[in-house]
Amino acid sequence: MLTDRIIGALMLLLAAVYLYATTQIPTLEIGDPLGPKAFPVLLGIALILAAILLLIETLKPADAPHGEAGPVDRRHLWLIAGVTLWTALYFWVFDHAGYLVATMAYLLALTGVFNRGKWLANVLTSVLFALGSYVMFVKILGVTLPAGILGF
Amino acid sequence: MDTFGHIMNGFNVALMPINLWYTFLGCFMGTIIGILPGIGPAAGIGLLIPITFGMDPTSALIMMAGIYYGAMYGGSTTSILINTPGEASSVMTALDGYQMAKNGRAGAALAVSAIASFLAGTLGIVALTLLAIPLAAIALKFGPAEYFCLMLFALAAVSSLTGKSAAKGVISTVLGLMVATIGIDLQSGQPRYTMGVPELQDGVGFLVVVVGMFAIGEVFSNLEEHIKGKAEIIRLRGRLWLTREEWRRSIMPIIRGGLIGFFKGVLPGAGATIATMLSYTVEKRISKHPEKFGTGMIEGVAGPEAANNAATCGAMVPLLTLGIPGSGATAVLMGAFIMYGIQPGPLLFEKRPDLVWGLVDSMYIGNIMLLILNLPLIGIFVRILYIPTGILLSLILAISAIGVYSINGNTLELQMALMFGVIGYIFRKIDIPLAPMVLALVLGGIMEQSFRQAMTISGADPTVFVRSGISITLLVLAVVMVLLPVVVPRLRKLKEAPEDLAA
Repeated sequence: MLTDRIIGALMLLLAAVYLYATTQIPTLEIGDPLGPKAFPVLLGIALILAAILLLIETLKPADAPHGEAGPVDRRHLWLIAGVTLWTALYFWVFDHAGYLVATMAYLLALTGVFNRGKWLANVLTSVLFALGSYVMFVKILGVTLPAGILGF
Repeated sequence: MDTFGHIMNGFNVALMPINLWYTFLGCFMGTIIGILPGIGPAAGIGLLIPITFGMDPTSALIMMAGIYYGAMYGGSTTSILINTPGEASSVMTALDGYQMAKNGRAGAALAVSAIASFLAGTLGIVALTLLAIPLAAIALKFGPAEYFCLMLFALAAVSSLTGKSAAKGVISTVLGLMVATIGIDLQSGQPRYTMGVPELQDGVGFLVVVVGMFAIGEVFSNLEEHIKGKAEIIRLRGRLWLTREEWRRSIMPIIRGGLIGFFKGVLPGAGATIATMLSYTVEKRISKHPEKFGTGMIEGVAGPEAANNAATCGAMVPLLTLGIPGSGATAVLMGAFIMYGIQPGPLLFEKRPDLVWGLVDSMYIGNIMLLILNLPLIGIFVRILYIPTGILLSLILAISAIGVYSINGNTLELQMALMFGVIGYIFRKIDIPLAPMVLALVLGGIMEQSFRQAMTISGADPTVFVRSGISITLLVLAVVMVLLPVVVPRLRKLKEAPEDLAA
């Protein structure tokens, strides 16, 4: 229930930021009577109401003992954070290194962690997938992918 | 041409060799997507939209719809063989389907789910055909005010029914509407919330959000599940067919499930998941042996599977006739329509009857194809389950990168997709449903437009939204939808309190 209160508080904060940003939209008094601000103002109010609704819900007596998902395993969170960072890095070099190199490196590390110990399968999958998808998308389907340093 | 002529002409469109091929391709990929863990119909459609940009819109939509209902067929396979439902709507199938598989009746469980899906799916398309015509005619009479109220009702229903908490559903909806306001306001030409980033002037790309939340976010959740341990795959044994006794027990649950599913599918928010639960409950309640449910009762597979697929067809009704999707997957389907420059809704029945009926009629053909793919050929698809999960999930991430990059060739959008992936992962953790946000993102632009049109017509008088009976009814229903789940438990608590004291 504590999580829900934090969510409610964060949403109130977000609504305030959004409403403030709404006041910053420049308006010219021409065209439709409402202008570009009216609908967003309603949305900001709606988010405040929804956050209050959530806070009311947290006051509700917990009728069934809520299945609090046990102590969160911190190692899992670190792992997901690592994957996120690794993916961000992959997207970062996507243009410069090119699809082939970036994807091979990305997949090698990822399969190395999540399909541990099966080196041959992982290397084969990473190389063949990168090559195969590049040929299929760029050469056959006409989708643009960055060639980078090793493209063709 | 009269309506009947249009429906018949739809078959001419659907039976064109090129469209038959795309129906098959859609059903084939849908089956695979349904079987694959870590990727659902919404993500599947989202990832494949960029590939279809050069195609004829009718063919592209036929294929996208095929992926959508094909994935619903495939979802049951993982429920039965590894007790891991691919989608929320297959959870009920796992209850008795997995037990049947453990009892050595995996073949029968897969067969009955394919047959139930086929029969109920076909029933659903007939009902879709019959219901679409009058509903589109009514919807044509809607003005901007009524249309706005209808969207409000749809969003309220989805918010209230998709998650555990109505408030979290509303939060998800409002966040989606807020994301939709980012970019240049089309009526005034003013940039809104772009923070000076030029890439944001066209708004946050729909596919960026869909691929982020449904593909990347889902893979993150699955990676976490994966490192906790892997489920064992039950080997397919026995004939893929039913005994006479099993047939007799399945046929009525299929019919009941089909009816429940279709009507639940038509209503926004209720959708396939609730339909499967309702069907399972009904079968258990009227059964002579309710205590045996959960131990491998074929009724518990046949009913929910029928409900699931009929609901898929039912969900096409509001999408096609009103232009208002009622679920996450149909919202992505609507996003596909819009990307091809087609606005689904009542006008489409007048402007492009060939497209609408070609699409609907292709579903009859797709259902037959799916029956073949899922019965004689299911053994081939099952092999997909033997691909190591660690490899599979990694590949889905790389495919997501291709999907997002191919839209605009922009790496900033890749990073944004990753951001929405992290948001999607967190939302799953804290029980905020994703479907309302995606639905709101699709509807946001149209909703604001009809709001402003209505206000312009009335001269900025907000009473325009309560001038017709339709609007008032829809508004009242919307408020009831959101407040009921909060109020009811409190009333119940008040009633029960005296009894507690007495005891």
